Amino acid sequence: MASNTTEKGGGRRGISLETKMLLPALVLLAVLSLFPFVYIIFMSFNTVSLIGGISFEWTGMENWTRLFTDSVVLGSWARSAIYFIATVGIEMVLGVGIALLLNEIIAGRYAALSLILMPMFVAPVIVGLLGRFLTDSTYGLYAYFLNATGLYTQDILGTPGSALLAVILMDVWEWTPLITLIVLAGLSSVPVSVLEAANIDGANYWQRLRHMVWPSIAGVVIVALLIRSMDAIRYFDIIFVTTNGGPGNATKIIPIRLYETAFRFFDLGYAAAIGLGMLAFSIIVANLFMRILKNRGLAK
Amino acid sequence: MRHGTVTKVLLYAALALVLLWTVVPLVWMVLSSFKSPNDLLATTPSLFFTPTLEHYGALFQSGLWGYVQNSLLAAGISTIIAVTLGCLAGYGLSRAHFRGKDHVAFWIISTRMAPIAAVILPLFILFRYAGLLDSTLGLIIAYLTFNLPFAIWIMNAFFADLPPSLEEAAMVEGATRFEAFWRIALPLTAPGIVTTAILCLVFSWNDYAFAVTFAGPDSQTLPIAASQLNTQTGLNWGQLTAIGTIVVAPMILVGLAVRRYLVKGLTLGAVTGE
Amino acid sequence: MTSRHALTRRDFLRMTGAGLAGASLLGAAGCGGGGTTGARAGAGMWKQYAGTTLSFVSENTAPTSAIGANLGEFEKLTGIKVNILQLELTSLVQKVALDIGSGLGSYQILYADPYQILAPYHGALADLNEFDADENLPSIERGVDDFIPAQLAAAGRFEDEKTLYGLPYDCPTMIWMYRKDLFEKHGERMRQDLGFDPMPSESSTWDEYFRIARWFNDNADEVPYGTGHQAKQHDSLMNDFSNVLWSYGGDYFDNPNVGSLGASDPGPSILDEPKSVEGAEFYKKLLEIAHPSSTSWDWNALDEAFRAGQVAMAPNWHEFAAGIVDSSIGKDVGFAPLPKGPARQSGMWGGTGLSVNGASPAEEQRAAWLFLVWATSPETQLMGLKSDVGGGTPTRSSLYERPDVKKAMEPPSEMPNMLTYDAVATSWKPDNIGLRPKIPAWNECDTIIFTELSSMLVSGKSPEEAMKTAKQGFDEANTRVQNLASSGRGGVA
Repeated sequence: MASNTTEKGGGRRGISLETKMLLPALVLLAVLSLFPFVYIIFMSFNTVSLIGGISFEWTGMENWTRLFTDSVVLGSWARSAIYFIATVGIEMVLGVGIALLLNEIIAGRYAALSLILMPMFVAPVIVGLLGRFLTDSTYGLYAYFLNATGLYTQDILGTPGSALLAVILMDVWEWTPLITLIVLAGLSSVPVSVLEAANIDGANYWQRLRHMVWPSIAGVVIVALLIRSMDAIRYFDIIFVTTNGGPGNATKIIPIRLYETAFRFFDLGYAAAIGLGMLAFSIIVANLFMRILKNRGLAK
Repeated sequence: MRHGTVTKVLLYAALALVLLWTVVPLVWMVLSSFKSPNDLLATTPSLFFTPTLEHYGALFQSGLWGYVQNSLLAAGISTIIAVTLGCLAGYGLSRAHFRGKDHVAFWIISTRMAPIAAVILPLFILFRYAGLLDSTLGLIIAYLTFNLPFAIWIMNAFFADLPPSLEEAAMVEGATRFEAFWRIALPLTAPGIVTTAILCLVFSWNDYAFAVTFAGPDSQTLPIAASQLNTQTGLNWGQLTAIGTIVVAPMILVGLAVRRYLVKGLTLGAVTGE
Repeated sequence: MTSRHALTRRDFLRMTGAGLAGASLLGAAGCGGGGTTGARAGAGMWKQYAGTTLSFVSENTAPTSAIGANLGEFEKLTGIKVNILQLELTSLVQKVALDIGSGLGSYQILYADPYQILAPYHGALADLNEFDADENLPSIERGVDDFIPAQLAAAGRFEDEKTLYGLPYDCPTMIWMYRKDLFEKHGERMRQDLGFDPMPSESSTWDEYFRIARWFNDNADEVPYGTGHQAKQHDSLMNDFSNVLWSYGGDYFDNPNVGSLGASDPGPSILDEPKSVEGAEFYKKLLEIAHPSSTSWDWNALDEAFRAGQVAMAPNWHEFAAGIVDSSIGKDVGFAPLPKGPARQSGMWGGTGLSVNGASPAEEQRAAWLFLVWATSPETQLMGLKSDVGGGTPTRSSLYERPDVKKAMEPPSEMPNMLTYDAVATSWKPDNIGLRPKIPAWNECDTIIFTELSSMLVSGKSPEEAMKTAKQGFDEANTRVQNLASSGRGGVA
């Protein structure tokens, strides 16, 4: 390793090594994110046309006023909210539940964990295609069992309610393991001695869970929530390959609406405004979780 | 903890249910990829059939190997760059002191929140003038837009968790600042590095939206190949499940191989997350 | 792979009746077909761009798969290597629009969907007349008039009758596919119960179709439902609905040219007028008795379901015939034109042309022209008819006159897609052909109509309300896109 004398001791003023180490990544990130960001903001105040080369016509707030009055987009926001709360909510409950379950199991815990983790490595496009395959009314495995048992006889992806539920469950299938993984790791840091002491005191499982386990994993759970939320707002691959928003717009969440505005209608200025709206929403959500973390003294 | 027999039975019954829920779709996918077209389209699902390799054969005959190579290159190189720069920057961020550091940290992670469909057009224009369209290099760079902030974020959390006193001690003994990072801090965060690398690899290997826009005939990746099988002449479920197996198997194998690190890595990184 | 290739080549040689040695492909082909009206073609002309590599971006259709399997012939003829990128339609449109918008021209050969690409981006496509007239390039064999006229207008032109943007490449058309075995088995009972001859024919009506479907629901055990539809919230739903809309005398716009030559300004939509609403009402009624999974089926899924014996009949694309004839129900399928409505018979035509990207370098455009001439030539189309990978049916009138092609219209057929000929020929008559609006705003209008229809089918929206909302959406989208087009001529960044 070539040693650099000016950096020895580290107390020197000017650009420190730490900052130098930070710079290459920051420069690259700035190029990759600032240009698109500024460009999108500019686009959102223009009518953008691709006909005869990209061209812009300044239209001021037009895209933005349309954003807040467009009933289709507002409907998509509402559907997104349902989708978001349902996916993230179910994933959190199931994820924490499965982690607690695994924590109680001794024999075969790691073998089970390996199996349970598998869905999170599957490409979302494949999850969607597989979901279609399993729910296909003609030869889908799940459709067959639902039909044979009489639990559900209508077409799963062809009926609004069950289509929404199905795409939610596909997302839940894929991402619950991530929550389980994070929470399980948090659980393993709860000191055993504390739990044993409580056990001797006669506290039952739920009392221990509430007063000892929960306080020590709450931070981890919020982090898991943060990680999942950020992606849950952005991702649309699963819906894209299954229902693509249908039937009757039942699954048209905002990223799908954004995609079609941008790449089906090529209404790029308006798409930019929708995209910025989504970004603002993500940042607000992230900020909120950050604040909770900070207040709990969990983040540095 | 010790449990009574009844509790034990209940616990394992619950576990069985969870396993059924996670594993059945994957097992069904792998099984279906070995079924002949007639077995596949049977309206009564069956577990017993004469396995065939015809779908895999057809896929590789129609040039799937090229897609595998593109996927490996794009995801692999992008991961290496993201982890390298992420380690450097993550360390820098955790140890540097400057005004507005919190804002820089938040800016970094906020770049990962940008809606994919909105970023595609500006990136396309950027790539067009940089001559990066239809190339694996373009995909590598595109993947950095989400992998780099993620890597910096997680690595920063790992380094922040490491007491600076360890590096200070090394420097007292004559190590340079960089050596202290390289020999002391970096090895101690190995679980974090592995975790970051795996997750970056999975995210880029699985990408569809960027690849479908930026890749050309010579740089198509596996998820694109999968979506192309949905042709106008019918869904080829045999080949679809086969390609699904090919896309998923390596990631599951890699992921499970480092599961131990993953558990450690995620908590550490997460709890102290900036 | 290799064996198929050898077979194709042998087929090819037999077909053209001559070897490739020395003579050019088309020159040689002339002796087989006859009536080569002044096609310029010399070996030198074909070889002038040897060593070039071209990219062809296409929807993942059967004709393109067939072309892909035969690319070796083109490479042998010209020395040009062609890379084919096959994408799902939405991705294709995105790819082409970005390529055109950025002036990149990296795909020289475009599968130019008349509605999603030709109408909005015709300004960026090369005028093929220039190549056709060029003394140094081969011209279209048998001339441009050999293409079926209605298809040439729809797939090749926009607004004016002179500029040629595309050569008709494929021509999928919707026809009535039914299980002949079931109709024969139950025919007599159906006739007694229903009071008319149920056998699908040119005089069948949509009302009869409905009653036959319901009869199957109630009386036949072989299939769970009578009819199935591609009624997913998807382009396919617009296609399936349009057949009914037109046959009831309704339409999207009141503009005689909007389907064939297209229009940048089609005027206000007439979807809310009584005849259109009547069509929508019937469609809703029909879907209520159709296979309930219809609302999740696109064209692929419907075809799968038909093959799997889920329905007795369906409006389906004629190009799927080759695959169906190959399948387990192959021998039992009959083909007829779609039923008539109170106003007329109509079958959706979904053809596409091949275009040359005007943004590509001039030499590459000329090389691309060679591919267009070859890919739409009678011989190549004949190869497509015989292809193992499906293929399409020809877009040229002269091929339908060939004795071997005519013979293939009856089973057993070497060219199974030709079995549908009588059915499609009915729908290709100028009065019947189903042409959706060719307007720059079609992508958005298409989404509006299939979304409204989907709501009508699954969420209880009334046909009247759905058509009214769609009409408003159409009008707004058209106004917006026209503004966009006029601003598009402003400053280029």
